[in-house]
Amino acid sequence: MSDASRVHLFPVRHHSPRTSVVLAAMLARVEPDLVLVEGPTDANGLIDVLTHPETEPPVALLAYRTDGQPGSSLWPFARYSPEYVALRWAREHGKEARFIDLTAAQSLALDRAEGEAPPSAPEAPSPYAQITERSGQRSFEEFWEASFEAPEYDETAFRAALMGFAELVRHGGPRRDLYRARDAIMLAAIEKAIADGMAPERIVVVLGAAHAAAMACGDVEPALAATLDRAVPVALTVIPYSFPRLAEQLGYGAGNRAPFFYQRAHDAGGDYRRATLEVLVDFTDHLRLRGFGVSLADTIEAYRLACRLSDLRGKSGPGLDEVREATIATLCRGESAHVDSFLWPTVIGKGVGRVSKGVGKNSLQEEFWTTVARLKLARTDEVEALTLRLADAVHVEISIFLHRLRTLDVPYASMVGTKRSASPEAGSGLETLSRVREAWQCQWTPSTEIALIEAIVLGESLRAATERLLGQRLTSATRVGQASNVLVDAVVTHTPGAVSLALDACERLAAHDDDVPSLATACRALAGLVSYGSNRESFGADEKVLLPLLEKTFARATLRLPFAVSASDEEAPALTEAMRVLHELALTQAALDRDAWIAVLAEVARSFGAHPRCAGCAAGLLVLARLWSDAELDAALRLRISDTSEARKTAEFLIGFLEVNALAIVKNATVVSILDAYLQGLSKDEFRDVVPTLRRAFAELGKTERRYLVESVVAIREHDAPETAQLAARVMTDQDAEQLRAVGDEIAKAMDDLDDLL
Amino acid sequence: MTETRTPAETKYQAEIDALIASDEGARPPGWAMTPKSVITYVLGSDAPVGGVRITAKYIGDRATIEVAVATLASDRALLLAGEPGTAKSWLSEHLTAAISGTSALIVQGTAGTSEEHIKYGWNYAMLLAEGPSEKALVPSPILRAMREGKIARFEEITRTGQEVQDALISILSEKQIAIPELGTITQAQRGFNVLATANTRDRGVNEMSAALKRRFNFVVVPVVTDLEQEIRIVKKREEELRSDYQVGAPAPDELARLLVTMFQELRAGMTKDGKTKVKAPGAILSTAEAISVLFQSGILAQSFGSGTVSPAELARALVGAVGKEGEGDLKIVREYVETVAKGRDGAWKEFGKAAKGAFRA
Repeated sequence: MSDASRVHLFPVRHHSPRTSVVLAAMLARVEPDLVLVEGPTDANGLIDVLTHPETEPPVALLAYRTDGQPGSSLWPFARYSPEYVALRWAREHGKEARFIDLTAAQSLALDRAEGEAPPSAPEAPSPYAQITERSGQRSFEEFWEASFEAPEYDETAFRAALMGFAELVRHGGPRRDLYRARDAIMLAAIEKAIADGMAPERIVVVLGAAHAAAMACGDVEPALAATLDRAVPVALTVIPYSFPRLAEQLGYGAGNRAPFFYQRAHDAGGDYRRATLEVLVDFTDHLRLRGFGVSLADTIEAYRLACRLSDLRGKSGPGLDEVREATIATLCRGESAHVDSFLWPTVIGKGVGRVSKGVGKNSLQEEFWTTVARLKLARTDEVEALTLRLADAVHVEISIFLHRLRTLDVPYASMVGTKRSASPEAGSGLETLSRVREAWQCQWTPSTEIALIEAIVLGESLRAATERLLGQRLTSATRVGQASNVLVDAVVTHTPGAVSLALDACERLAAHDDDVPSLATACRALAGLVSYGSNRESFGADEKVLLPLLEKTFARATLRLPFAVSASDEEAPALTEAMRVLHELALTQAALDRDAWIAVLAEVARSFGAHPRCAGCAAGLLVLARLWSDAELDAALRLRISDTSEARKTAEFLIGFLEVNALAIVKNATVVSILDAYLQGLSKDEFRDVVPTLRRAFAELGKTERRYLVESVVAIREHDAPETAQLAARVMTDQDAEQLRAVGDEIAKAMDDLDDLL
Repeated sequence: MTETRTPAETKYQAEIDALIASDEGARPPGWAMTPKSVITYVLGSDAPVGGVRITAKYIGDRATIEVAVATLASDRALLLAGEPGTAKSWLSEHLTAAISGTSALIVQGTAGTSEEHIKYGWNYAMLLAEGPSEKALVPSPILRAMREGKIARFEEITRTGQEVQDALISILSEKQIAIPELGTITQAQRGFNVLATANTRDRGVNEMSAALKRRFNFVVVPVVTDLEQEIRIVKKREEELRSDYQVGAPAPDELARLLVTMFQELRAGMTKDGKTKVKAPGAILSTAEAISVLFQSGILAQSFGSGTVSPAELARALVGAVGKEGEGDLKIVREYVETVAKGRDGAWKEFGKAAKGAFRA
């Protein structure tokens, strides 16, 4: 212990520019031969990568479990992190630097609650809250800034102040065993370095203030080191990190609320006044870019106000809180909204770090970055839009790459949907089948990196990983719809192995699936693939395989429909959706049994056992395809409507009926006159009863449809009232858009009246 | 005879004297006390200063006051902006009382405010008799503040016309007023500044020009959203009113809580538990309005009731506050009482019943 007490113990707060400034001065004075730093011992091999001249913080050490269990940990470093300053110093001066904390393998073996956010948060939050309250500051961050960042310290004073603070924290709450065990591990590492022959005076130890305080007062229990004997297999690497990410994790050790501000303070040698001024000038620029009239006089006033505020508060320099308040009062004329919406992100920064080439990446990251570089895709924390034309070979390659990332759930690229994106397939592979263009939005974020690292358990290349993931999805698929989605994903990601597996699964599941929506999904996917095959290069499945499968699946859907339509209210919307999909396929795909489908549809349309919405949908589809004559329609509708005891069911029927193709239907005089008669025939009470349902049915109608509906109604009532006849004549003949709009307003008013009625 | 209302500097004379006596540190030129003491005066302090307890004049965010005081010590003028009834004028009065020892140098901004009101006018009898002379000059509060190095108040600055606002620009940037009739120029003594208030609901009436805005730092006095904080404010101010006017009866805590809860819920358009939506009335239900309702119900209770405020008096006083903007608001509050108050216990039940009667009329 006596030897160890002679080392230069330097207490730090992680990510603190002031600490770094003082530490740099201390290193320059002591010129140690060995620098020991709090950090996982098994990352020692990566120190070289971390401090490589081509590595640009923010970066993070990343450890992830390689035994298939989820679990990873990050040790982020900014340029202003004292640990990073110490490591860099050692490299630049040709001295040795080592980590001395417990290994990542040990910390990942701890259960989640204990292992969270190492090496940060050495204590329970309560002592910080206590200290904050005693200091009279509004937040711990403000207290820290006012007490440690803004004042200029020399080494002795800073060490004393920080040790004093650490003592308060240490006694403010219970220190958990884990932290005491880490004290012991780090002390043992220091002692070993001395035993290996290094003079204690030549060693600088950089570690968290609470650990330093524990060592300084000899409050270390060496036996505790043995309690952390469990370890799991891990791999360690260095990944690029980003400022937004650093700002997300608050707390004593985890991050900063405004990394870019602190970066500036660090770059200015701990001069917070300068950092404040730089930020305010930045704000001025941003406000001007957005068209706010801000003068340089305002900027100067903001700076002066920030300084006056810090004086008033007894601080030695302005900090973030003063920046914020002064900005609101001057540059923003009292509006805090601008600060929150677009100014504040600039103090957080959006910079992304860089890791020196070829080191510290896993194979997936390597593939990702080389592909991104080769294909010139987005590589920053900013959204980039991209439109791909799939006739172009390079664009196809990009599409495959992005689809693989999407399938692997790597947050990097998302498909920009069209209007149809409200459908459940939005952003999935199926949606792309019908297109020759794809629109994407790409944005690199640190979570991209993490996802890539996590995905490595699936395979060493993006293709292999995708293939395995799709295989897993197939094993858990119980319906043909799910399998067909995998098939589509396999096709768009060009993974032939998965394609054949998915085809097998579709074949197998289609024979037993009773779920019509799932069958419809599969039919649509298969039909999509059939046409896909004709305009893109081969993908491992051709028409010979796909068409029979499509026929089989469609036949099963036709067969199951009459049974499926006796559905509940909740199931009905999915069913009508499926019916419309199947109907469209029946009319467009020559290979499918169209007659069987229409027969089933007619059966459903007339069935009183079916959910009325499904029946209505079937009737609508038949009318639309001109498969029902007016007489047939008339009979079917009258039959429906005659049952006045079931007014609600009739209204449901109308919903299904109108959702097919409202425009065609409202133009049909037969339909409208029957509907009109139906509504007229309702008693007051019945009407009140069905109004909510009716309202839903008619709310789906667009402006044009409503106009035609009213025109049709007016036309039908022609002989009842001469004035309306005149109106009708005008409406029907006059092509003047103005008049049509006037009629549109009338309908809108009518709809409003209906609303009022409710 | 006693005055109905004494200005802050008179009422809190003892506190101001104590703060000045035990004041340490540098004062900005022309200031009666240091900025720190001004803040203590406004926000109050737990420990007595020089044996005198400093009461809180403003209950709210410390940073708001700090920015205001830091601005007044600079060459920029201060604009307190905010919704009606957020204690802007109240703050302005106390800040000037503490800094300059007087809150009386005040210009009330109206559509009729003319350049004379912010520069100088003449005593015409004297002017005719003697010609232009210092004796015939009637200095505006702003001119007096300049001469004495004090802070002038400008209430409701956005209600004044463009020419007045333009005249103010030159005063704020030149810090001097020329009196060509006398051939003199009055230079502002150090310590001079202008503290203006503006109502954000008035926006657009006479929008301040960009040039004038540039002469001000803006501090928005927020609407209180914290329930406990607003209850404290309402109770404290209501008590002060009662002692100032020597009328009224105290209201039980439960009713003050009920009133403030109701105001906050109506303002937010939602109940505190976030479960029920309520319509927001058009009338401004500010903190100041809550204070006045509570004070009025005290008077009603004293004159016509049992001597302590009951839900019935509260409901009656409320009608007057809510009915200002018309029948619609009365309906909204009636709905609120019927839907929200019905489901609650204690005073709410009784209040619900009383309100039903009061709001029917």
